[in-house]
Amino acid sequence: MTSNNSTPKNASDKKHRVVYVSHPGSGLARSNFPLECHVEGDQIVRSLPFFIPDDVRLYEIKTTDRGTYTRPRKEVQMPLALAAKQRIHTDTRVKYPLLRDGWDPDKPNGAGRGTDSFSRISWDRALDIIVAQIERIRDKYGSMEPILVQADGHGQSGYLQSLHFWGHYLFDMIREHKKWGWWTQQVRNPDSWEGYYWGAKHVWGFDETLGEPYQDAVWDDVLENAEMVIFSGNDPEATGFGMSGSIALQMPKWLKEAGIKIIAISPDLNHACAVHADKWIPIKPNSDAALYLAIAHVWIAEGIYDKSYVETHTVGFDALKSHVLGEDDGIEKTPAWAEPITGVPVSTIKALAREWAGKKTTLSVYFGGPKIRGTFSHLMARLEAYVLAMQGFGKPGRQFLRTGAPSFYKKSLAQVPRYPDVDFKGLAFSPMIEYAIGHGPKSPVFVPRTLAAEAIQQKIVRWKSTTAALAKTEDQFRSYQYPPSEDHPGIRMVWNENGSQPGSWGHGWNWLEALRSEQLDFVVGIHPWLENDLLYSDLILPAQTNYEHDDLVVVQRSDVLGLFYQEAAIPPVGDSKSDYEIHRMIGLRLGLDEVFPHSSDWLKASYEETLAATKHNVSWEDFKERKYFIYDSPTWDEWVKIKKEHGYGEHDGGLHWFAEKGEGLQTLSGKIEFVSERIKNLDPDNPERPPLAKWITHSELADSPKAESYPLSVMSNHPKYRFHVQGDDIEWIRELGKVRGVDGYPYEPCWIHPEDAAQRGISNRDIIMVHNDRGAILFGAVVTERIIKGAVSIDHGAKIDVAMLDNQKVDRGGCINLIAPTVQEKYPEGAEITVPEMNISGFLVEAEKIDPSRIKAANNISFGAPVAGENR
Amino acid sequence: MSDQLFVVDVDKCTGCGLCIVACKDEHVDSEYMPWTKPQPEAGHFWMNVKPLERGSAPRLRMSFLPVMCQHCEEAPCISACSEGAIKTREDGLVWIDGGLCTGCGDCQEACPYDVIYKNEDLNIAQKCTGCAHRVDEDQQPRCSEMCPHDAIIYTGKDEKSDSNAYDGVLEVFHPEFEAAPRLLWKGLPKPWIAGTVTTASGDEVIPDADIVVTPSDADSINVQSDAFGDFWVYGLREGDTCQVDVTKEGYKPYHGNVTTDNDQDLGTIRLSEL
Repeated sequence: MTSNNSTPKNASDKKHRVVYVSHPGSGLARSNFPLECHVEGDQIVRSLPFFIPDDVRLYEIKTTDRGTYTRPRKEVQMPLALAAKQRIHTDTRVKYPLLRDGWDPDKPNGAGRGTDSFSRISWDRALDIIVAQIERIRDKYGSMEPILVQADGHGQSGYLQSLHFWGHYLFDMIREHKKWGWWTQQVRNPDSWEGYYWGAKHVWGFDETLGEPYQDAVWDDVLENAEMVIFSGNDPEATGFGMSGSIALQMPKWLKEAGIKIIAISPDLNHACAVHADKWIPIKPNSDAALYLAIAHVWIAEGIYDKSYVETHTVGFDALKSHVLGEDDGIEKTPAWAEPITGVPVSTIKALAREWAGKKTTLSVYFGGPKIRGTFSHLMARLEAYVLAMQGFGKPGRQFLRTGAPSFYKKSLAQVPRYPDVDFKGLAFSPMIEYAIGHGPKSPVFVPRTLAAEAIQQKIVRWKSTTAALAKTEDQFRSYQYPPSEDHPGIRMVWNENGSQPGSWGHGWNWLEALRSEQLDFVVGIHPWLENDLLYSDLILPAQTNYEHDDLVVVQRSDVLGLFYQEAAIPPVGDSKSDYEIHRMIGLRLGLDEVFPHSSDWLKASYEETLAATKHNVSWEDFKERKYFIYDSPTWDEWVKIKKEHGYGEHDGGLHWFAEKGEGLQTLSGKIEFVSERIKNLDPDNPERPPLAKWITHSELADSPKAESYPLSVMSNHPKYRFHVQGDDIEWIRELGKVRGVDGYPYEPCWIHPEDAAQRGISNRDIIMVHNDRGAILFGAVVTERIIKGAVSIDHGAKIDVAMLDNQKVDRGGCINLIAPTVQEKYPEGAEITVPEMNISGFLVEAEKIDPSRIKAANNISFGAPVAGENR
Repeated sequence: MSDQLFVVDVDKCTGCGLCIVACKDEHVDSEYMPWTKPQPEAGHFWMNVKPLERGSAPRLRMSFLPVMCQHCEEAPCISACSEGAIKTREDGLVWIDGGLCTGCGDCQEACPYDVIYKNEDLNIAQKCTGCAHRVDEDQQPRCSEMCPHDAIIYTGKDEKSDSNAYDGVLEVFHPEFEAAPRLLWKGLPKPWIAGTVTTASGDEVIPDADIVVTPSDADSINVQSDAFGDFWVYGLREGDTCQVDVTKEGYKPYHGNVTTDNDQDLGTIRLSEL
């Protein structure tokens, strides 16, 4: 390898101190490239792209006759990251520990949560209260089980200091070292990849990659061979860019350069497809399963599928064939059958099916898009796997392609040329990841995130599966319940570290209601901002932004991997501490000094296990001085040699090995299973998830009786300008992403088709109320043909701003998750939930224009929440 | 054509908005005298990106126009300013001298590109300086440095010869303003004619149909419908009346006339079998 990492382009600025600051959307201790900030005194003067220095060798993907592909040295991040410095001093910044004025240890007055004001207290008093409350729970109930410890990567996050799993770690350490018993772990459900997890795993396995196929060297194959790539709800300009940075923007350009056609299938003409797609096929939300069945029908009727592959690589095809032809239920799944369900014309379905069969076609997602996060998305994901299998999945040009993949999405090789040892040992590892993306909950007392509100509100909640990200597929058939026993006190205390629950999961109103429950004696919030569900806390501890502390930045979600030393850009705001430091202070109070070392010791130890130290001999001190180490990529010749060692030819990649061997998948048969052997063995009669995936209608579709009152379907995707719930408090981001209403308020946009708008007398920029039985949310109308008729497009996670419309409570901030379905509402209370998926896209609403004079503030807490005492 | 300082390539812009944020990041709370005082926190778009929704669903696409000061040689703002506050640097960048500006608003009125903003707090007019302060330090203007798609390129006066790389395709945005901008464009949107060819019943698309578009005063353009029956004829002249002929062996042909007031979508063209 070359001696790498000379001074990058911008760092030559001598006037300012140059610091590298983690992207605010980092999560799970891993990030993409940081911002390069220029600092003068306490002022962040500018945030610049990072230019990968010329002596870091970039990879090249070489093709036989389609040229050579690489990535740019300029590495930019989403607008939110550039504007994040504006979040340091927002009106809502929490500067000091705050105690809710209505809270009393003996009389918590839960109903005051969300409306009461707060007063500043000292750190000493805050720590006294916390320790006393944990001790009280333990004394009264005999363990810490009544404490629900949330944790998640959806808020602002970094490697160590602002990581959001320290709550889990803290309570685990109290249990281990003080023997105070277990705690209730909130388990992160497989949120962004729901359908693949609950469904596609039963067709093709891939337990370690969340139900999505391995990405080994997949670009080598696609750029060499593919003729068409279907973007199934994929939006590299929004989701991919936010999480992976520049490489997500580059990948669609590779496809164009290689002459590969891009076909977009999505209810919306999304940001990337609006400029890159050769063809847009608008589809009604959550109806992709019916489209896939109709495509299979064309292939079977015209005999244009890969019969020999189906013969040798799959099991159970006859059942699918019989179902498609209507031999089992009397309904032939023709394009004419699918047209009214999907909104896709018969002629387009036939043309797509023939083109897919006739051209080497790859299907592309980032995580799965809006279709993967709706009711019964597990059926859709399985049917997607079926149609891929019918066209020889894994053969040249016929792959499953992520436009950007974190380094673990592989069997043995990275998505693009990368040294395997860099993948395995190049980056600092955080043991906290096991709490987040784990093989199962650490605590035997746990509840899935999708059922957190119900676990507080209901006597008993029963479900199947731990919902842990990397759990074995068999776990999906195991029964669990909360509380674990009948005489259990249930949840009495909540530990909230990120503020993202009401804006990222379903029926957020219900979560906010659960926090007001008198059952809860104490709610702790740890966050830099007073926003969303943080307002419903009893005690708020002031966390820092990434600009205020030293940390590592672990570049793992990009194609080129590296490590940065993040030096604090500015002094801490007020009395804020990093998330780690806050948990450490509590740990020290409890005598857990040994397991809470000083952050610098932890960082040093993490770094010293990486190849930068062990192989390239860059000491911790040198690393802190030079501030980064970026790994070289292999040359093409080296890469070809590495691939050969792993059984791949020069241009092979993706599922090539399976296409060659016809076995080795993590299904019971080792093959692609149209009829799942596992479901057949473990849960054969479940009507919701039958052994053969079918089109099953449900209460959130247009043929439901509910659709008479609520005829529009919400399609909800990851936002382009926010990162989940982050960003709406930044003026520059509001200027880009919001619709200024006639009343001057920055409303969240709601895309509505011109015909739907006309029927309701809605014009562009009108203020509209979108509502269903779960509540009402206000938006600014964007009348556009970019959304299919009958649907509205609203991104998830807008910042909540409770207001009154006449006498009705509404959210003026535009957080659509507040009225998304709960996982439980499909089931009678107390019944076991067999697939605890979340449903945040593809649900029914109605929209109407409203006069803004009807809107009144609900309470004294709004966009700039007022706080008593000296917080401001 | 005047001295070229910037090239904006519309075909490359995806509307990500990073140039807007980069401009704000550089100028809000920071002053670079003499070229500019600080930009207000909100409301100014010295760099702006205008979205254009083109065509009709499903044959719909977006184009984005990154619009900033065009740094004109015959700048209407300069002649409109009675204080002589708007000046041209030797390198061609046009800037407003905040010390001389009285905030009268005449330049805002005069600018046909609508890129001058009033700073109410400072009572001065402000606009893009071309990041003169960075150019003087051999750095890129923030918008072009940030753009991940190389849609905004600062070429600089000295590299004028580089415009050869664009092979004569560069255009002026709104030449009718006769302002002689130093910012030139590639890929400015021109009207298209699009449609989908199907059978009479609409149940089958017709690929490989011949589409001939004949503008009033130019050569015919021939394309074929694709595998989805779709066709797109690009690069037509605004406001022209074109003849459109759609033919496919075995089907009755379609003939029509279309005026390209804008992008024209002919919808589904159903051909009856002969």
